[in-house]
Amino acid sequence: MSIWNYVVTAHKPTNVTHSCVGNFTGPQELNLIIAKCTRIEIHLLTPQGLQPMLDVPIYGRIATLELFRPHGEAQDFLFIATERYKFCVLQWDAEAAEVITRAMGDVSDRIGRPTDNGQIGIIDPECRLIGLHLYDGLFKVIPFDNKGQLKEAFNIRLEELQVLDIKFLYSCPKPTIVVLYQDNKDARHVKTYEVALKDKDFVEGPWSQNNLDNGAALLIPVPPPLCGVLIIGEGTIVYCSASAFKAIPINPSITRAYGRVDADGSRYLLGDHAGLLHLLVITHEKEKVTGLKIELLGETSIASTISYLDNAFVYVGSSYGDSQLIKLNLQPDAKGSYVEVLERYVNLGPIVDFCVVDLERQGQGQVVTCSGAYKDGSLRIVRNGIGINEQASVELQGIKGMWSLRSATDDPFDTFLVVSFISETRILAMNLEDELEETEIEGFCSQVQTLFCHDAVYNQLVQVTSSSVRLVSSTTRELRNEWHAPSGYSVNVATANATQVLLATGGGHLVYLEIGDGYFRFHDLNLITKEHLGGEIIPRSVLLCAFEGISYLLCALGDGHLLNFLLNMNSGELTDRKKVSLGTQPITLRTFSSKNTTHVFAASDRPTVIYSSNKKLLYSNVNLKEVSHMCPFNSAAFPDSLAIAKEGELTIGTIDDIQKLHIRSIPLGEHARRICHQEQSRTFAISSMKYCQSNAEETEMHFIRLLDDQTFEFISTYPLDQYENGCSILSCSFSDDTNVYYCVGTAYVMPEENEPTKGRILVFIVEDGKLQLIAEKETKGAVYSLNAFNGKLLAAINQKIQLYKWMLRDDGTRELQSECGHHGHILALYVQTRGDFIVVGDLMKSFSLLIYKHEEGAIEERARDYNANWMSAVEILDDDIYLGAENNFNLFTVRKNSEGATDEERGRLEVVGEYHLGEFINRFRHGSLVMRLPDSDVGQIPTVIFGTVNGVIGVIASLPRDQYIFLEKLQANLRKVIKGVGGLSHEQWRSFYNEKKTVDAKNFLDGDLIESFLDLGRSRMEEISKAMSVPVEELMKRVEELTRLH
Amino acid sequence: MWKEIRDRESGKVRPNLFTSRIRSNRVAALQLSNHKEIVSPHRGSVNSLQVDLTEGRYLLSGASDASIAVYDVQSATDYEGSGLVARHKSLFVVDKQHEQGHKYAISSAIWYPIDTGLFITGSYDHYINVWDTNATQVVTNFKMPGKVYRIAMSSLVTSHMLIAAGTEDVQVRLCDIASGAFAHTLSGHRDGVMTVEWSTSSEWVLVTGGCDGAIRFWDIRRAGCFRVLDQAHSQLGRRPPLLERSATNKGSTSKSLLAGQSSSVKSRAPQKKIAHGNGSKQSAVSRIPNQVKGSGRQRLHPGMLSSRDRATAHYGAVIGLKATEDGMYLLSAGSDSRLRLWDIESGCNTLVNFETVRLQTGKAIQLAITQDSAHVFVPCMTAVKAFDVWSGKTFLTFRGHYEYVNCCWYNSQDQELYTGGNDRQILVWSPSKMIHDETDEWRRKGQAPAQDQDNWSD
Repeated sequence: MSIWNYVVTAHKPTNVTHSCVGNFTGPQELNLIIAKCTRIEIHLLTPQGLQPMLDVPIYGRIATLELFRPHGEAQDFLFIATERYKFCVLQWDAEAAEVITRAMGDVSDRIGRPTDNGQIGIIDPECRLIGLHLYDGLFKVIPFDNKGQLKEAFNIRLEELQVLDIKFLYSCPKPTIVVLYQDNKDARHVKTYEVALKDKDFVEGPWSQNNLDNGAALLIPVPPPLCGVLIIGEGTIVYCSASAFKAIPINPSITRAYGRVDADGSRYLLGDHAGLLHLLVITHEKEKVTGLKIELLGETSIASTISYLDNAFVYVGSSYGDSQLIKLNLQPDAKGSYVEVLERYVNLGPIVDFCVVDLERQGQGQVVTCSGAYKDGSLRIVRNGIGINEQASVELQGIKGMWSLRSATDDPFDTFLVVSFISETRILAMNLEDELEETEIEGFCSQVQTLFCHDAVYNQLVQVTSSSVRLVSSTTRELRNEWHAPSGYSVNVATANATQVLLATGGGHLVYLEIGDGYFRFHDLNLITKEHLGGEIIPRSVLLCAFEGISYLLCALGDGHLLNFLLNMNSGELTDRKKVSLGTQPITLRTFSSKNTTHVFAASDRPTVIYSSNKKLLYSNVNLKEVSHMCPFNSAAFPDSLAIAKEGELTIGTIDDIQKLHIRSIPLGEHARRICHQEQSRTFAISSMKYCQSNAEETEMHFIRLLDDQTFEFISTYPLDQYENGCSILSCSFSDDTNVYYCVGTAYVMPEENEPTKGRILVFIVEDGKLQLIAEKETKGAVYSLNAFNGKLLAAINQKIQLYKWMLRDDGTRELQSECGHHGHILALYVQTRGDFIVVGDLMKSFSLLIYKHEEGAIEERARDYNANWMSAVEILDDDIYLGAENNFNLFTVRKNSEGATDEERGRLEVVGEYHLGEFINRFRHGSLVMRLPDSDVGQIPTVIFGTVNGVIGVIASLPRDQYIFLEKLQANLRKVIKGVGGLSHEQWRSFYNEKKTVDAKNFLDGDLIESFLDLGRSRMEEISKAMSVPVEELMKRVEELTRLH
Repeated sequence: MWKEIRDRESGKVRPNLFTSRIRSNRVAALQLSNHKEIVSPHRGSVNSLQVDLTEGRYLLSGASDASIAVYDVQSATDYEGSGLVARHKSLFVVDKQHEQGHKYAISSAIWYPIDTGLFITGSYDHYINVWDTNATQVVTNFKMPGKVYRIAMSSLVTSHMLIAAGTEDVQVRLCDIASGAFAHTLSGHRDGVMTVEWSTSSEWVLVTGGCDGAIRFWDIRRAGCFRVLDQAHSQLGRRPPLLERSATNKGSTSKSLLAGQSSSVKSRAPQKKIAHGNGSKQSAVSRIPNQVKGSGRQRLHPGMLSSRDRATAHYGAVIGLKATEDGMYLLSAGSDSRLRLWDIESGCNTLVNFETVRLQTGKAIQLAITQDSAHVFVPCMTAVKAFDVWSGKTFLTFRGHYEYVNCCWYNSQDQELYTGGNDRQILVWSPSKMIHDETDEWRRKGQAPAQDQDNWSD
């Protein structure tokens, strides 16, 4: 790999961090706005459900998201603040159907320490000011003027050091905040302050309340007429206002999210850490609060946000499981739950570990992630491309074409499958046993190759051969009419629909026939438009089709390229020519439908499905090696199936949903933390944690579980000791031993200990589908990482790297014996090896490079990166270049400097690449999500996959230098053309950023930005093409190639 | 630790909270290091310690025998005790033998903040020398009117190269490395200036503490001092600070007011409610004695009102100053054995009562503070104490030096504390490490057992 890296998202973030409801896109339209860390999605509420309107990236990690309505406005504005202290106010432009920036700015300060408890951004309900708590001890105010414009911000000192929450109170003559804070003695209090805008200071507020619940962490301001605030604790809920104080005890729980049900604020939905949804009711007599009531409604995913939509529909956004659209029923179901889950939105986050496997052994990687947390823990199998689920197959050589036919025009199912060979035509049909067997249609000519077949009106079938067109009754199967090609002019190509047949004969003639009830009618043809394709490659297949109401002409060339044009149905004009490369062999195009939508199947050496989404053509590869022909075959026995001809085989199968990434979910009900695959035993081993709630006391239980790699069923379980956590897992073999083992590293996490002082390394073998413990070794700390290393086992145990030999004892049993070690780390958390080199990612001291010396049997330090990076994942790209992810959401690469002149230089790992990803990476793995074809350009590019807390799966590809330089230039031009939402700067967003420094990104490119080139309109593409002096076609080709990386 | 890592990877703990938790856990575990030693070559008391600001790697020490030394605190020079104890010997030493070396004690030695190519020393021989690190040659020097007590450069600096110097003289001088001349002289102190500290939020603001007990703030772009801290000026009229209840017997006039205000928050709530009807007026009244605004008035008049100008921060000399990294607070130590925490924006004494026992009085001391401003390290005679900044309670006591401790430096990158004292030693205090685990392995192999070394200094 190289130092020039290209970072691209294969799976967008799905962790829902914020959501809000309001009239954003129109005064009468109700919108749900969802923030997924670095993206926002705008949905419209319709009677049919949630309709997506916009999904845009934000150049920042969203810290706060609030809707508000300035005075005199008919619809809401959206306020977004990012973790890097930028904010913007967005408004919907209904005409252009896009967001426009009303205001933006920077709210960072020179003084103050960033808050530990997360940034707070709130807007006064009367819209007088925006309040931000970004630094300990400071409250930033951005006032509005009378016209709703933002004025200059200022800071007010906030003496409370540990602020947990701040909210604005409703209906106060002056903007008033309520602050929930913790004092030095860990007691929690609330306090109110009025904001005196003129004095730029606080004034003591109307009330305060001391010594609240120790777990109080959430404030809910209550709108008029009741006003006041609800304080949600772990054991009590308190309603507090200047005039009233009401409290009720609740079952111990940590409330993570709330959603207000009524505009008058008398009912709230509360979601807790266990995924239980409660309804909190403020009982009141007129404006006087008389009490609080709480009721359990049911269970949802563990909520991070709750948005009450309308009519008992609620959106539950989750960080730990799938987000849900639920309905609250008036009556409980059999289990006593009022919650009905209507829809689930996939969330992969947090991906704490994953592995890349090729389960189908097709040469295509799949990612199996440990996703979710707590009860919502699951394994997710993520696969690129569309899969075919094979249902039947026959061996048939030399297929030249296939068509399905119905036995009657109004029959909903296909009966016959016509298969054409070089010198014969065979007809297959479903028999009574639902088996495919050969049959005959007497009226068909079966001694020659069929060029085309189709159902026709009046229960007829059409067969085109090189010499004639035959019209056959589908009921009697007898020939009704035949049209013979003039002698010397054989038919070369043909197409037909129910009423029309078009033939091309030798000598460049076109013949057009219309089908009647047992006869053909001839018509003339006029040329409407002519498009020169240019080049020397002949077209092999053309297709007219409509996607989402837009008509296209697709034209496939003999070299695997595909041209597409927009077709004007009135004028016949062809516009917007685009060219993509799908494969290297001739392509045959066919339409098929799945889920009532039409798609196009392009059969070639790289079968592709062409579909449309957001009025844009998308190409998704099919997970088959080579397909020569395809036709839809919707029979009673195999509904919605496709017949596929490939390499001497005819297969009938169903097709997956048409989308790029396919995610299969295996719910575990417990939290999987580490995963690893063992090829030999065809199993996965996971280390997982289950929370058990037993009489108000929460306990954790930890397991090592063995799963079948096809069914994903638990086939064996090894329970760990009390307090023992699984920290690492590895499948490996040792020198002088042919067996393959699972090695598991653990830690005993004692409640009173800061750092584990005891752990174990367990060595298992899989025998008869069972985990058998072969050896165990006690360690003096947590085993954070395990690696196979020169036929030995390399473990990272607290501060130390320890190498173990696999020794045969006298009695024939095996044991791990320590050979040598290396200390000098704060905590060696992440370890990767290559040859004799060991790369260690430290808790807080970046990389160090160690080497194992065989002769001395010792591990020595070779080099180190002296920057203070707190690592979260490391990977070795090649002998000299190592990739790291760190705590402030950055990526960086370092290079070994073995040619350095001095010891000092050689002992220093040089930082060669820096980039702000904005995602917290938990794991890197070498591998690829796509099938790598050796003949394609991108086939040679090595890639690393990463998984993040927000559920992002990304790809880092190492590019050759000239390609990098080209793309860097393209990126620079795209930055000028594509403006970030809210006026946020892409360059700033991608700059490496931590407590100590901010530097421009270097040697990393943002693939998401570069690939958005393909979404641009023609004119903007041309703008870039001009600036780059590269033709648009060329640019598109090069960017499209990159999209094949994921 | 595993628990925190587990929570971080599942997104339960945000990364910055993760780091601050681990840092504070590690600070709480500081003890005399059992795996790291700095070998001091000094033959006099160690007066100054600083790790460079760029890489956090090179420790610079200055001592009374006019020697300066530099150590690499990241990479050890050799190991002892079966490789378990890393020894850091000095990379080079400059002493009296050096042709350009100082003649008398070095009071202060600091790195050039931008890179490690230069360092600066101030000495009792009245000179400030600027050294080229690689050549160990003086590139420029400044002759001061008296003994140099303390020098400082701004860590934020982007547009100037000024060394602030506190000397026996009443004037604070700014020495410009770029020109080799004095850029400013700041007059106001009535006695020698023991300690100087640049603001951590602005490269133009300098704070100086004098033997006259005054702490003065200077904006070096303007004439005169713009603020003199007054120990009697506590947070009068402001919303009461959190901890005034733990504060005691100082600034008694304001104290009673504050106590009255704070202790009755709960009981007064109903009264406040009544006041709420015309609450805006009432609260406006309470804002009148707003001292923050007062500072604006002061700035208009460089000479300042003479009464204000005489204000003192300590009874006795100010011997140490340290600003918190967030730029919001200043800690001062005085020969009155008091430590005070000041709110920089308002100039108020926060009245946090630090449980100091005694501070040495004759010399400037060098304080250190953790990155999160939670703890301050103060040389207290032969010990170093870590105080909780907000409560003033003693958090940790580091006993190891045989004689008075003069200086400490907190390495926030590694959470290590370096201290230097009159016993000529530089001690390393680091989070305890369990290093017994490999010893049993060694023993079993029959190799030289690494004794759990008893640290000599107890």
